[in-house]
Amino acid sequence: MSAMAQAASLAGSNEEKISRFDVHQIIQHAGLMVSFVILVFTGLPLKFHDWAISQWWVGVWGGIEVTRTAHIAAAWIMLAVCLYHVFYLLYTILVKKKPFPVKIIPGPSDFREYYQEMAYYLGFRKTRPLVDRFSWKEKFDYWAIFWGMPVMFISGFIMMYPVFVTKFLPGWFVSAALVAHSDEAMLALVWIVLVHIFFNHFTPGHLPLNTSIFTGKVNVKKYREEHALEYERMTGKPVVEKPVEGVPPGQVNLPDGKM
Amino acid sequence: MKRLSLYFVLGFLFAIGILIFFTDDAKALDEKNCLSCHGNEGLTKTTEAGGKISLFVSEKDVNTASHRYIDCTTCHSEEPHDTASPLNKLSLAEKCGTCHQYEYRLHLSSVHGQQLLQGNPDVATCVDCHSQEGSPHSVIRVLEYNAPTYKKNIAGTCARCHDDAELMADYGIVEKVYESYMRSFHGKAIQLGTYEITQLDKATCTNCHGFHDVKSVRDPVSPVAGLDNLAKTCEQCHAGAGVEFASGFLGHKEASTDNVPAVHYTELFFTIVLITVIAFGALVVVAAIVRFTINKWRA
Repeated sequence: MSAMAQAASLAGSNEEKISRFDVHQIIQHAGLMVSFVILVFTGLPLKFHDWAISQWWVGVWGGIEVTRTAHIAAAWIMLAVCLYHVFYLLYTILVKKKPFPVKIIPGPSDFREYYQEMAYYLGFRKTRPLVDRFSWKEKFDYWAIFWGMPVMFISGFIMMYPVFVTKFLPGWFVSAALVAHSDEAMLALVWIVLVHIFFNHFTPGHLPLNTSIFTGKVNVKKYREEHALEYERMTGKPVVEKPVEGVPPGQVNLPDGKM
Repeated sequence: MKRLSLYFVLGFLFAIGILIFFTDDAKALDEKNCLSCHGNEGLTKTTEAGGKISLFVSEKDVNTASHRYIDCTTCHSEEPHDTASPLNKLSLAEKCGTCHQYEYRLHLSSVHGQQLLQGNPDVATCVDCHSQEGSPHSVIRVLEYNAPTYKKNIAGTCARCHDDAELMADYGIVEKVYESYMRSFHGKAIQLGTYEITQLDKATCTNCHGFHDVKSVRDPVSPVAGLDNLAKTCEQCHAGAGVEFASGFLGHKEASTDNVPAVHYTELFFTIVLITVIAFGALVVVAAIVRFTINKWRA
């Protein structure tokens, strides 16, 4: 461990926190999470309608009319959260004149990061890649919503008002909407459970719960490990070692086994 | 005073005793004591052809049947032992029709009734749908929860024949009508709903195809024959539904390149997206789990 990195590590004691998300982002995530969970709990019994547990579960809610109403209510909440996010984005850029959040936009660095991360997992690299403000997985989660939400809203709307919709659109839209809604929902659910929850909460250092999106704050030491490039820029303290002969450049100067 | 309370306790116990020991299920009306012989499970008769026919009538079934207060001789009229009664599905329907005349006439006009008149024994007649056992002695009322004709059970009742691929192949019905119905919104809503009648205001087989006068879909007067008829049938629940609305129905078939191809391609597209993205995510997660496990094990 270099002297510089040691100093940085000493500076980042456990008490110090870096603010990562503002209150709007915390509310947006919470709104998205709550509405998503309600949508999943009221939507899954329809997908797996012939499972005995589905019939029991719908009974717990008080019948299919109740799950349907809850599903529709949660869908409107989710739409409201998405609109909130879009207006929040426009407001911060246009009114508050803050710079456009370019860090969330995917670029070639994300492919490099993905490649380096896989190389690390598979044992071809000693260290994890250096991450800027958002990791490739965070960007994937974010942009997947821009694809998934319109699919779910439009297909859901078609199924809510099939008679109205078929006044303007061909009848097959209703049947296609069901297919799209069902498959896209499974995609979102499996991705969230498998990838999002695994990497954000079940990985070493995060178990059982990574609180950053709920409190908005991240421990300085953790921030230095997980968002090294942004940490460097914010603090001016380099995390990367100067190129040394025999050691490939771009490796994080962290204790082994840490992430 | 003490003695009085003792009487009260004794009287109370006596009343409970009466309730416990002297309650019995309702008994079917049996004025001629038919059940004293026919209630015997072993009772059979040998026909002229040499075959054995059971003459057993289950007292348990009759006691809960909707006609339990109609005496045996109402249907088995005159001298039941002296009259040669032809026992086939058509004669059975005729017998029901002596009282239920309207339903009987509708039934004879249905695809089932028409086949019945031509002597086809495969088709459903009164008792096949109105009794769990297909027996006139255990016909129960439509609004009883365990009735095969109770709304929640109707699809299962039709499926007894219409889910039999071998039987249906004889009539050119190749669609898996039961499965596709259960996959539809109507089927899911009926299946996931409870038995309460307020939760059963969803379409089942009979709402679109008719019941006593059920028609073949190839019959032009069937409520589901052709988009115009189908749209009118949809409109019974979906106010304002038009032909375009009805055209979205996949017709008890899976979407395919021949049947509403747009839906088929939508399905294909989303399946490919789903599998690709999840496989990609799973790969990363599995690799990460392997790495973290090795790290932990080495530490």
